[in-house]
Amino acid sequence: MKYLSEYRDGEVARGLIQRIRRAATRPWVLMEVCGGQTHTIVRQGLTELLGGAVEMIHGPGCPVCVTPLEQIDKALRLAADSNVIFTSFGDMLRVPGSECDLLQVRARGGQVRVVYSPLDALDLAVKHPDKQVVFFAVGFETTAPANAMAVWRARQLGIRNFSMLVSHVTVPPAMEAILSAPDNRVQGFLAAGHVCTVMGWTEYEPIAERYRVPIIVTGFEPLDILEGMLLAVRQLEEGRHEVENQYLRAVRRQGTPAARELVSRVFRLVDRKWRGIGEIPGSGLALREEFADFDAEYRFGLEAMQVSEPVECRAGDVLKGRLKPVQCPAFGKVCTPEHPLGAPMVSSEGACAAYYNYGRFRGESAEMAAP
Amino acid sequence: MCLGIPGRILEIHDDRGLAMGRVDFGGVRREVCLAYVADQVRPGDYVVVHVGFAISRVDEAEAQRTFEALKEMSQLEELEWMREVAERSLAAQEDRAS
Repeated sequence: MKYLSEYRDGEVARGLIQRIRRAATRPWVLMEVCGGQTHTIVRQGLTELLGGAVEMIHGPGCPVCVTPLEQIDKALRLAADSNVIFTSFGDMLRVPGSECDLLQVRARGGQVRVVYSPLDALDLAVKHPDKQVVFFAVGFETTAPANAMAVWRARQLGIRNFSMLVSHVTVPPAMEAILSAPDNRVQGFLAAGHVCTVMGWTEYEPIAERYRVPIIVTGFEPLDILEGMLLAVRQLEEGRHEVENQYLRAVRRQGTPAARELVSRVFRLVDRKWRGIGEIPGSGLALREEFADFDAEYRFGLEAMQVSEPVECRAGDVLKGRLKPVQCPAFGKVCTPEHPLGAPMVSSEGACAAYYNYGRFRGESAEMAAP
Repeated sequence: MCLGIPGRILEIHDDRGLAMGRVDFGGVRREVCLAYVADQVRPGDYVVVHVGFAISRVDEAEAQRTFEALKEMSQLEELEWMREVAERSLAAQEDRAS
């Protein structure tokens, strides 16, 4: 399709790879914070093709993976309620909670429905006025405008049997948490292009300045990612640390102002726990006070529910980039997409699932010892 | 969930005050909320769609420009590389000759 096929051109990719390899006088360590980019990188084997010029650490760019166990358990409790139709994006259904997952709740008779858009959940609420319809609002800044609109619309149309279990996270605070960790190895970032279509890139300017790292707003196709890497490598070689926009065709400096506006009218910034990472200050979105009626935690009295994270898998180390998926002792053995121990193996955007699905572990796991 | 996909707007309509539209994704058509980009788009334009919402307009001219620039860079790189290889082999021949 237009704007997809061109940016997958193999000939052009080869030229870019060559150019990156020549531009890098030493190996550079970059991080992407977007599950879509992780999948392109792993599927195309881009780091292998770069022959060590660039090491990619896969950051916590999968919203499903970082949703805290506490929110999953709340979802499970709501879904088991016979008065509730629980709606969610498909990739949340197999994320393990403390005792089971949403699919298992559905098998036991819970009404769990997969929706494509939060507006579909709103339609369900209109069709089932005798039920409570709850939508599991997870995601980064990309999903926030859609979820904000669903709440806004529910209030506008007077749909009272609709609410949201909100577990939104935002990217820049996570980047700061990674950069300020004492064992940080990341020297530059590929910023998630679609987060920036909404938010623009002004938030990244103080981060680039404070931590002296280049941040390249980057798209999702192979050529986008290679160009993003090239721009980052050039900055690093020249000792620069600026925010640059590779994804010119979709991202403007101010993002999409109408979307930012509604997000800030519906949501407020809160501290949020990230699964496997812990609490990051100011890294989450929650509904504002005036929308409390649409907050499922408030409506169903779940606010006090607290769950601590078990040490069931080493997802946290993978999400922080300390461990490559193949270096986890459980990878591909006790932990597979069919029987996942942790969220990164479940989600289509998770780093473990990417390595598993694209066979990036064959012959590699034996050589790569855990650190 | 987080994957935004570019699609082409077929038509735009109003649903009780909300700008909606039919968007074509390489043959698959879906109803998409256009509220956030309504002031910038017309039928025929490309948008990035995420969970049923257009979150950005795709600038076609820019998409073309970026691709052409990358293509040119790649071709130059190839020429540069061939020149280097040629120079290296010439140098090697001279070494052998001397």
